Amino acid sequence: MEGKVLEVSNVNSGYGHLQVLWEVSLKVSEGEFLALLGPNGAGKTTLLRTVAGVLQPWAGEVRFMGEPIGNLPVHQITRMGLSFITEDLNLFEAMTVRENLLLGAYIRRDKRVKDSLDYVLHLFPVLAERRNQLAGTLSGGERKMLALGRGLMSEPRLLLVDEPSLGLAPKLVQSVFEALLELKRRGVTILLVEQNVSASLQIADRGCVLEQGRIVLEGKSVDLLGNEHVKEAYLGIGGAS
Amino acid sequence: MQIAAMWDLFVTGILRGGLYALMAVGLALLLGVMNISSFMHGELYMIGAYMGWFAFVTLGLNPILAILFAAVGSFIVGMVIERGFFYPLRRRSKEGWLLNAYLVTVGLSFVLQNAALAIFRPIYRGIRTYWTGSIRISPAMSISADRVMGFLVAVVTIVAFWLFMRGTKIGRAIRAVAQDERGAMLVGIELDRIHTLSFGLSSMLAGIAGASLLSINPAYPSMGLLPLAKSWLVVILAGLGNIRGAIIGGFIVGIAEAASYYFLGAGWQDVTSVTMLIIILLFKPSGLFGTEVKGILER
Repeated sequence: MEGKVLEVSNVNSGYGHLQVLWEVSLKVSEGEFLALLGPNGAGKTTLLRTVAGVLQPWAGEVRFMGEPIGNLPVHQITRMGLSFITEDLNLFEAMTVRENLLLGAYIRRDKRVKDSLDYVLHLFPVLAERRNQLAGTLSGGERKMLALGRGLMSEPRLLLVDEPSLGLAPKLVQSVFEALLELKRRGVTILLVEQNVSASLQIADRGCVLEQGRIVLEGKSVDLLGNEHVKEAYLGIGGAS
Repeated sequence: MQIAAMWDLFVTGILRGGLYALMAVGLALLLGVMNISSFMHGELYMIGAYMGWFAFVTLGLNPILAILFAAVGSFIVGMVIERGFFYPLRRRSKEGWLLNAYLVTVGLSFVLQNAALAIFRPIYRGIRTYWTGSIRISPAMSISADRVMGFLVAVVTIVAFWLFMRGTKIGRAIRAVAQDERGAMLVGIELDRIHTLSFGLSSMLAGIAGASLLSINPAYPSMGLLPLAKSWLVVILAGLGNIRGAIIGGFIVGIAEAASYYFLGAGWQDVTSVTMLIIILLFKPSGLFGTEVKGILER
């Protein structure tokens, strides 16, 4: 399996006694942008948490860069080159934008952290303007940008992004998606979880649809956009007339 | 009130405040990073005092080296205690951490006090002075060199600690853990290491306080009680887990006590500080500097 950054095979996972994921399998290749779609409560976030090590898989295997990571703690998986941008962002609210970004590069020991900082500030000009402002004082859209920027500071091999459009005004959603598109152009491998199906499929290479904890559809974005089930259930077009 | 008396009062207050700040910063660090309400902070102070005494009297080191010896020793003791007691506790307890950790500190406080009693017996181990002589700061007033140096040690330590927390990668990581544990793990910070380090640092600050005041407070098994009570008072006054507040609060309490000494007479300083505490708890229970923002330096 060459070029596979992430391989999830037959993973079961959940919380306490509640099983959420049932035999989920998916793969993300180097440089690919995969969108994981599905309704509320389908288990999208649970899958990301299981991959990032916040949750341990109950069964099945998670491989990252060919190595099994199912039982590793979060910080070790991060050190291997995975960056997880959570739904609630987990920013360090009482620190400045710059400090947040520098902490994103915590695992790096090389001298080029400054270059990454410049790169991220160039990518998100609003952050450059507010670099000395406390993260807790940023607006919703700026916070998402900061979380994305912090996630990029470690120069990850894979970026997991959970619901970046959640709670944002439509105009800001657009700028977040533009940022993701820009990252894709620059060759970052991305696994995106979204409820905004049409926007996600427009920027992603491939999509997976997760329903009730199982993958029900998988394919190229263009094919999914034309798929009857997707159209009916997520895009609100057509259906059985 | 005369200028000289004012000056006298201010200087005494500042000298006292330095010690309170040193102790309170360590407590605030434990609260902010690990969520431990420590009742063994006085025993760490006691351990520092014994180490200072050992280094100065038994080993015959010079005062600065003796205090450094106590600092390093307390740092190691703190890390060993964290690894030996709090680390296993954290692995096993999912809920009730706050109460469990508190009870462990209370238990350790008893054990350490009685161990000191058994090993060193109830004998005061004090020194006359680290530094002899006195420094004249005004025609009417001179302070013993020992007090001045004790204060300088406190100030240098606090400034160094502040710079460490603000300007270094590890300091930033400690603050990150205090602000958002999940976020800290996600950027690759190993929580266990930060916890051990924080406990060591907190212990070191208490140890430095104990060692640098040896000529005023001789080492004795139960010597930690008053500093414990005072540092808790400062921490509650300033707002729990707030390091900046703990520093300022230390000086506020020090000056308030010196003022009550002057105006009300000796013996009233504890009444004054506890009264301040009651007033704060009644009118601003989150503390003078307590706000809703989460963090330990910034809260």
